[in-house]
Amino acid sequence: MIGFLRAVALFIGAMFVQWWWNTHFAYWGAAPQFLLVLTIIIAARRGPILGMLAGFGWGLYLDVARAELFGARALTLTLTAYIVGVARRQIDLRAAGPLAVTTFLATWAAFVAYGLLGLVFTRSFEWSGWIPVIMNPVLNAVVVTIAAVVWDVRGGRGS
Amino acid sequence: MQRETRIANFVLGALTALSLLLLSLPLSAPVRAFKAGTGYLLDPLAYHGEAGYRRIADSPMRIRKLLEADIENESLRVELRRSLWLATTVSALSLENERLRRALVLKAPAGRSPAWVHVMERDPIHWYRSLVVDAGYDRGVSLNDPVLGPRDGRLVAVGRVVDVRPNTSTVLLLTDELSAAAAYLSSGTYEGLVQGQDGPRLRMNYLNAEVRLSTGDSVYTSPTSATFPPDVLVGRVAKVNPRDPFLTFQSVEILPAADASSLQELMILRARPPVGEAKPPAYVPVFAPIEPPAEGPAAPAQAEDAGPKQPSVARPSRKRATVEASTGAVLKSMEALAVPNPEAIQ
Repeated sequence: MIGFLRAVALFIGAMFVQWWWNTHFAYWGAAPQFLLVLTIIIAARRGPILGMLAGFGWGLYLDVARAELFGARALTLTLTAYIVGVARRQIDLRAAGPLAVTTFLATWAAFVAYGLLGLVFTRSFEWSGWIPVIMNPVLNAVVVTIAAVVWDVRGGRGS
Repeated sequence: MQRETRIANFVLGALTALSLLLLSLPLSAPVRAFKAGTGYLLDPLAYHGEAGYRRIADSPMRIRKLLEADIENESLRVELRRSLWLATTVSALSLENERLRRALVLKAPAGRSPAWVHVMERDPIHWYRSLVVDAGYDRGVSLNDPVLGPRDGRLVAVGRVVDVRPNTSTVLLLTDELSAAAAYLSSGTYEGLVQGQDGPRLRMNYLNAEVRLSTGDSVYTSPTSATFPPDVLVGRVAKVNPRDPFLTFQSVEILPAADASSLQELMILRARPPVGEAKPPAYVPVFAPIEPPAEGPAAPAQAEDAGPKQPSVARPSRKRATVEASTGAVLKSMEALAVPNPEAIQ
């Protein structure tokens, strides 16, 4: 029960932090994508199933605010969680370095996937802008490193 | 592991299918309703998040306002203390102004240069002996200058200067046992010597043993006084002492007109004003001369509040002339001897 409540708190808290940061601290679209980072770290530490479920929910949350492409973020985060879950069998994602690199690449992949989904469903590539595309992978890599350290310190290592 | 992979694949397929379904559906009514419902569920997050953020974001401003309020509060406290002090000062000055206004209309005995002074200090152990005023050589005060005080719109005898310093002087009160002043009674012009007793009352000695004395008579300084100008109120007779068959004179108790406990401003009649100050006017009797009393037994006091009913020095009555002839010189010498000359002591 406590684990469930903690999961719900994490789910809602992450959405709040994402909204809060994007609203008040984003400059020219450059902001850490906390939900993507958490999806990656959950998939890397707890497996792809939980990562996909969380990523889908957070993706829907991100899609609610958009007028079009409802479901694109949900699909993107779901695919990201699955890929990370598969990759962890080949790469040791418990180490901070590989996790940061994976996050860096996954962020770019998410941008591309989102653009391609736009191209398919709205006939226009959904370009997020140069600054987010350049800065967000770096910010996400930094955040995932910090999150991994915090996760390990709180006893998540080995679980 | 295989089972987990299969579940993962299944979940991926289901979620992907759901996502593609959402993507492929146009923004029809069901999709908009779903988005609206999801937005409704998530709206409190943004609303309360914004409110919380505002609260947090406003914290520095609130802390700053709190600090400013604290600083303002402190400055207002200081200002309030200053205002209270000013109010107290204004109140004290107002009272002093009122006293001085009343004192200003008093006419000083002519021939001397009056100077208003403040009482600075008094000896609590010897309350009826002396006090210190805030004028000395700097204001032309000299030894043996008479000191008067305001009382009910007139000047009354208080004492004389016995010690002069650069900025202060010591006044020996009439109530001191070393004080003495020649005086007369208003009812019969009988002269005597008023002497202090180190108490609230004075004693008037050397009154004619044959006359009948009564309480309530006013006592004024005599023209034969070595210190005081004539006709300055000293007090009233409070008690007539029983005659002593072994003495050739009578004595009375006098209630001084100057209350030793309420003296605040005094007038020193200076013999010579300091350099640069106006010279005293020529001698003019300030206390209006009145009709000489009828001869015979001493009449009771008549309209004493209106002032001394005594002839001026220039026109003494017959009885008074007689008294002066017999006792004036003696009293003057006794008054002079009553208090040792401070200069001689030094």
